Amino acid sequence: MQKVDTFRISLLPFCILIFSIFALMIVTYLAVSVPIFQKEGPQIYTTNIWKAAENNPDEEFYGVLAAIYGSVYTSVLAVLIALPLSIGFAVFVIDYAPQKIKEPLIVTTDIMAGLPTIIYGIWGAFVLVPMLRDYVMYPLHKHLGFIPLFSFEPAGGYSFLAAGVLLGVMVTPFASSIIREAYRMVPFTYREAAFSLGATRYEATKILLSYIKPAIIAGILLAFGRAIGETVAVSLVVGNAFNIHPSLFAPGYTISSLIANQFGNAFIYGYMVSALFAAGFFLFIIGLAVNIGSLIILKRWYSHAQRF
Amino acid sequence: MPRDFKEKFFLFGIAIIAVLTILPLFHIIYSVVVEGLPVLLKGGFKFLFGTLAPPGDGLGGIGPAILGTFILTFLASLIGLPIAVMTGVYAAEYPESIFGRLARVLLTIMMEFPTILVGLFVMQILVIPMGRYSAIAGALALAIVMMPYVTVYTEEALKSIPFMYREAAFGLGLTRFKVVFRVLARMAKKGIVTGMLIGMAKVAGETAPLLFTAGGANRIYFAGVDRPVGAISLLIYNLVQQPYENYHEIAWGASLVLMLIFLAIFLPLRLSLKEVKL
Repeated sequence: MQKVDTFRISLLPFCILIFSIFALMIVTYLAVSVPIFQKEGPQIYTTNIWKAAENNPDEEFYGVLAAIYGSVYTSVLAVLIALPLSIGFAVFVIDYAPQKIKEPLIVTTDIMAGLPTIIYGIWGAFVLVPMLRDYVMYPLHKHLGFIPLFSFEPAGGYSFLAAGVLLGVMVTPFASSIIREAYRMVPFTYREAAFSLGATRYEATKILLSYIKPAIIAGILLAFGRAIGETVAVSLVVGNAFNIHPSLFAPGYTISSLIANQFGNAFIYGYMVSALFAAGFFLFIIGLAVNIGSLIILKRWYSHAQRF
Repeated sequence: MPRDFKEKFFLFGIAIIAVLTILPLFHIIYSVVVEGLPVLLKGGFKFLFGTLAPPGDGLGGIGPAILGTFILTFLASLIGLPIAVMTGVYAAEYPESIFGRLARVLLTIMMEFPTILVGLFVMQILVIPMGRYSAIAGALALAIVMMPYVTVYTEEALKSIPFMYREAAFGLGLTRFKVVFRVLARMAKKGIVTGMLIGMAKVAGETAPLLFTAGGANRIYFAGVDRPVGAISLLIYNLVQQPYENYHEIAWGASLVLMLIFLAIFLPLRLSLKEVKL
């Protein structure tokens, strides 16, 4: 007679609960987004219009393209900042930092990765933004204002650049920890081989880094995912304006800051809740794609790396 | 020689990069202390226990927000920890089952999920039916954010125990329940507790999931789990956006308090371990 595994059966409900929460989340996002899809179709994602009309739902029209643009813009900036910093930091900690400061350096970046994001937010709004405005944005705008990137007059300082820099600071420790773990796994014989060929430390590092390239890509992808989902810190520095402008100094919106800003009063309108859920759903999909992609890359790389 | 030059440039460069990477943290800590400490000293005990001042008039206190953060973290743990630990046990015990395998993937994805989406979700399923913001809604959102960390730590802690111990425990004729909870869980205690504390440290500082769930209450202390409740992070977020000078001061003071709470949980934890997942 087959014995019933009561232990397993008693644990199963907890497991199923987590899966149902996730499933319910997807269903909720889809269900609440339906009205806006029925009304506007794909235009919710392809236009930059934000027309809220009280008492007259037919007049309302929402297009979140500006927020999508801002999310991608700021996250790409963040990744561009995080890429050199996280690789450099990982290499420094593993190979070149004196033994004594290795551990403190890693602890420091772990604190950075865990620090409540609202603290980054207040620092960004009151310290980073004025600093960037006075020492970076104004000089660049004054002397190189003819270049589209610098063309916008940085009035308040709240801008794509401020958000990108803040996000870059926030995601660097996280990207670095993934790259560091991979870099640590590079077999010692590879280092020996590189040095025995007479490579300088610079050349050896370059060779070793090419070996962990997939892990770097995965780390950067995950950092991108974190940056695009970050809410409060960004919404305090990005300026919150519906704006599709090429300039780094222009204020804008991101999907998450749009939700944070507009959701509070969305209920008095007919379709705004639905529009915001549709924007959230977009974020959901990007997050899912980025995460699954990087997980696959990492998994493949680790199983490949273990064979050496 | 260019090769020689490149080498020196490279070493110099990555040292600079390493400094640049961690420099912001020190500047943040410096700013929060320089701006927040005078507020804390000026406000004294009243700052920690009092209620929020009116706009443009003095410091008042952030008592309800501090209490709210503790209540929310506690309630979130109450909801999230049992589910997360049990799921972690399941994933460790039955790694080949469909749920076991999928759980790992799902949780890793959930770990990286934008937390604002969790807040929005809880608002839709709990706040709207209830008709108001509440502590329980905030706690549920935080619990969803917390669960993946705790589960992954639990699973890894249990898996790290050598197989021998399992064999020995079964060899004594113990039931699976006793093997797991009496023998293995005790041995993996440190890892499991670490996961719980990391999860709690994480949610104590979260803001985005609370935006549309906890509601915020800064002038009254706790009124019940079905009533709105404040949180330090939420308070800072709201105060920074206000135009009043005294509100900005309170925000800095509150940031210092939040940072100290975070460091008090996180630092001892981090120093007792080799690495953490965040």
